[in-house]
Amino acid sequence: MAERKIKKSVDKASLDMMEKAARDGVTTAFDRAGEMSQCAIGAAGSCCKNCGMGPCRVLGVKGEEEAARGICGATAETIAARNFIRMVAGGAAAHSDHGRGVAELFLAAAKGKAPGYTIRDEQKLLQLALEWGVEIGERSNQEIAVDIGEIALAEFGKQEGEIRFLSRAPLKRQELWRREGVAPRGIDREIVEIMHRTHIGVDQDYHSLLKQGVRAAIGDGWGGSMIATELQDILFGTPAPVLGRVNLGVLKKDEVNLVIHGHEPLLSEVIVAVAQDPEMVSLAKAKGAKGINLSGICCTANEILMRHGVPLAGNFLQQELALVTGAVDAMVVDIQCIMQSLPDIAQCYHTKIITTSPKARIPGALHIEFDEHNALEGAKAIVRTAIENFPNRGNNIDIPKEQTDMVVGFSHETINYLLGGLFRASYRPLNDNIINGRIRGVAGVVGCNNPRTTHDSDHTSMVKELIKNDVLVIQTGCSAMAAAKLGLMTPEAAAKYAGEGLASVCETVGIPPVLHLGSCVDNSRILMAATAMVKDGGLGDDISDLPVAGAAPEWMSEKAISIGQYFVASGVFTVFGVTWPTLGSDEVTKHLFTDFEAAYGGIWAFEPDPIKAAHLMISHIDKKRKALGIDKARERVLYDMEMRRELESV
Amino acid sequence: MDYEIEEKGAPNREKVEVLGATYEAGKPDGEDDGRWRHKLASRDEKLRYLRSGERYWYGKDWYGSEKRKNPA
Repeated sequence: MAERKIKKSVDKASLDMMEKAARDGVTTAFDRAGEMSQCAIGAAGSCCKNCGMGPCRVLGVKGEEEAARGICGATAETIAARNFIRMVAGGAAAHSDHGRGVAELFLAAAKGKAPGYTIRDEQKLLQLALEWGVEIGERSNQEIAVDIGEIALAEFGKQEGEIRFLSRAPLKRQELWRREGVAPRGIDREIVEIMHRTHIGVDQDYHSLLKQGVRAAIGDGWGGSMIATELQDILFGTPAPVLGRVNLGVLKKDEVNLVIHGHEPLLSEVIVAVAQDPEMVSLAKAKGAKGINLSGICCTANEILMRHGVPLAGNFLQQELALVTGAVDAMVVDIQCIMQSLPDIAQCYHTKIITTSPKARIPGALHIEFDEHNALEGAKAIVRTAIENFPNRGNNIDIPKEQTDMVVGFSHETINYLLGGLFRASYRPLNDNIINGRIRGVAGVVGCNNPRTTHDSDHTSMVKELIKNDVLVIQTGCSAMAAAKLGLMTPEAAAKYAGEGLASVCETVGIPPVLHLGSCVDNSRILMAATAMVKDGGLGDDISDLPVAGAAPEWMSEKAISIGQYFVASGVFTVFGVTWPTLGSDEVTKHLFTDFEAAYGGIWAFEPDPIKAAHLMISHIDKKRKALGIDKARERVLYDMEMRRELESV
Repeated sequence: MDYEIEEKGAPNREKVEVLGATYEAGKPDGEDDGRWRHKLASRDEKLRYLRSGERYWYGKDWYGSEKRKNPA
């Protein structure tokens, strides 16, 4: 059995619960990662199992040019590229199928076939109507929403032309995508084409394979994910600043704890309402609890945090640890990043694990299927299950004290409003402060947790290093939760952690130095923020001109690879930590890390040390500042008349 | 509310008393404290906001840094 050498977490609450798990005889992902070492061939992207002649292990490392080929003749380059873009396909499919689910619910709600759902943000509805040429006039919101829903759904199965949201990107970026032949025709089509091209004996040129990966990823970021974000905003409200709390300490000993976990907020939005229903609260009190305490894990949690301030119990690697507290009466899950171990751990305590999506069943879990036509009843059944399980709690309860305040809700629209006000909403103050050097640049730090590195450590180390160097950080997903636990998402954090320039801007505007933009589909908000910076002017005319960078220091999911790929394809330097899935081919890795810049203006990088990775990002930001001519403070000279005459005579 | 008074000095000037930072201590407790979209009540106001606040996408006269004769 391999001994684990890295520290498991920097979060005290998590470490305490790991100790309790060990005492209780419960095994978690941290234990399993210690017991099972990574497959070196698979981790390097060198294992091809796409046909029954294999699996073939084919390494293509410099100095070993005589390396073997797969049985079909595939080279290490082909295999690494195939594996890489299949990861893109998996990630893009996950985000986009989420988007499709939202679009279906949206259309049903517009047609009055989904009781409990309504249009909460008319402004966002009108925004899409203007964008997609839907008639507004005197039509009702429902009539407009039917048109919007049908157009959105059609984006997934479109066969030709371009997906609609590409028109939001900077004009130069749109030209580049068309010139390179990577403008997606339809969201699903590009994913399906990856699966076709990577089948035995189809596309065997890694340049061509990787280009299709770019195309599918753009269809995710500027397609499926963006549709999910926009339609969720219309249905549930566009996020605006709200106070929240994070970490296992948000669980309450004397209340029914219902934890919501996954990525799709369609059912959880109704659960939020049902948990406040006086009938449910009375039932909870009748069972001996003081009330109903909702909290969340992963990105469904981020969604309901951003819109309602519902507290976060923790990020991906805390899902098992939440159960170990012994205080969770039910954990309701929807889709993505849900560990199959949950029902096993739940058996050691009293927790009910409730699956709700027909796409995500888990043996041992109670299944209460989400039905958009009857969401209210489903939500009531779930909340009732949690309440009725409250008296079954044993005595083995230990809730960590740790919880941290956070200010969240920074959608693109809200940033625009906060910086410019109602009558002149604008990114101008941000651009001006980047140009004058108070803010060095902007970094998007996103992604998962991975037990192959110290939980939360790489996120927090990187983010602290960036803000110390006057880089404004915007975050989503589990990465945002890590920073929030350290207290980086409060306005006070600016004075404590940020450099002098960034701190002065944050104090003036009244924002934290680290902004929470939402869930992982909400990385599309980062694309919108970057585009707004370009369009406001003074920082070049494409995203690749901006002093910005991206990172996923603790990534683990295919979704993260797709996100990284659409950031790179949008012109952003993007560095990943922990591991890199093409190291089995020097040529493919070089193509992603170097050659991509000439084509897309953005490149990938890999650096497991978060401080070094932060400095790679800062170096890139400085390179862009130099290219823009804003790398040095310029002396301001007040010209007198004589100096003006001299100037005119030149 | 009690106003904070601070004493400030400057070179070659006598010290003066100025109004200091005055705020209500504590954390905001209302969910609606940060909400701003309700400030735009009517559909007309919302459309006008989109054409000014999000002018680079929805305004007819604005392209920001991308103003050019020929659209991409």
